[in-house]
Amino acid sequence: MTERPAPGRRATAVLVAVLLLAAAAVAASAFLRSGGPGPDGPEAGFARDMSAHHAQAVRMSFIVRDRTRDERVRLLAYDIANTQSQQIGMMTAWLDEWDAPKADPGGSMRWMGHGAHGGGAGGASGARMPGMATEAQIGELQKADGRDAETRYLSLMIEHHRGGVEMARAVLARTGHDRVERLARTMVDGQEAEIRLMEGMLRERGAR
Amino acid sequence: MSKGARNRNSNSKARPNALTERQTPWGVIAFYGSIGVLAIVAITYAFILSRPEPAGASIKDLVQKDDLGRDHTSGTVKYDGAPPMGGDHDPMWQNCDARVYEQPLRNENAVHSLEHGAVWITYRPGLDAAQLSALKAKVSATGYTFLSPYPSQKDPITLTAWGSQVGVQSASDTRIDAFLRTFVKGPQTPEPGAACDGAKDAP
Repeated sequence: MTERPAPGRRATAVLVAVLLLAAAAVAASAFLRSGGPGPDGPEAGFARDMSAHHAQAVRMSFIVRDRTRDERVRLLAYDIANTQSQQIGMMTAWLDEWDAPKADPGGSMRWMGHGAHGGGAGGASGARMPGMATEAQIGELQKADGRDAETRYLSLMIEHHRGGVEMARAVLARTGHDRVERLARTMVDGQEAEIRLMEGMLRERGAR
Repeated sequence: MSKGARNRNSNSKARPNALTERQTPWGVIAFYGSIGVLAIVAITYAFILSRPEPAGASIKDLVQKDDLGRDHTSGTVKYDGAPPMGGDHDPMWQNCDARVYEQPLRNENAVHSLEHGAVWITYRPGLDAAQLSALKAKVSATGYTFLSPYPSQKDPITLTAWGSQVGVQSASDTRIDAFLRTFVKGPQTPEPGAACDGAKDAP
């Protein structure tokens, strides 16, 4: 017989293939959507809060660079400002990838179980993040000069780093997500080392 | 389709010859037809799923505007809308790190904060004290937001992000949280990663 493959059968094969492809596309897109940590999970909460926490460190570091000529303090501030800005970018990219909001109007720190009690600056509905400087302390840093600015910055930043380490440890206790664990661990190690460095710098200045 | 049916039927001795058959092959039509319909449904579903929903699509009465200017100018800018949703702006952004302002702000500075991904919450002066304190608490707890009175606005409370705006009557409207979750550093941000501090601190 010189018969070509039956057109009906070919049409069926094409249709079945299209159907399978479509099903695969649906499954793949559903999988991609549900792949990341949830928008209210500890990973997303950590990424949001640590971004705000880091932003204040960046701000204080820029201020002290304008207020002192001491090369070691200026270099430390340069390092902190750059590192923490970059890390904000990393955490923001996670939130994008997870389709998670960048803001939690329910208040900060809920992922650490601090949501119930209020008491943040200005009547925040969440808890205040540990180690954050007050607006008044930042205002004083902005007015200080030289040695005074250095010791204020070092003291504020030691407290800030201690709070940061506490938050990073809190997420380590709550997540198994690879990249979150890795960044949180580097924050603990890096900031603890800088705390020791800054304590030494404070002692040199006779302030502690 | 009918050709396929003929071909198949011609091989079958048990059935009458399709060429002479007058009956419409409903079974075959239904079979291939349903596969076709299924495929179309599946493809449409996959297409809808693969297309991201526009930001804020679920927020009722959301107003959106595009083609907004982004140039820096230290002069006065004439904006559409009160408050404006974007456009050319002052080089100095208004600090927007969870900041409560008691006085009206200069549009040109506030618009620059919108460009940085902030949400600007404004209220008509005379807003009920309990509502105002609820707004203040919310803004103080949420980074990349700022609050100020805006005397010429239409609604009691307005939320504005770059290119998006919604007016609400009350501080307990659920669209406030929805708007913040969608637009704080949201996908509309023309300059992602930009700061909300370090610039203009007073109204």
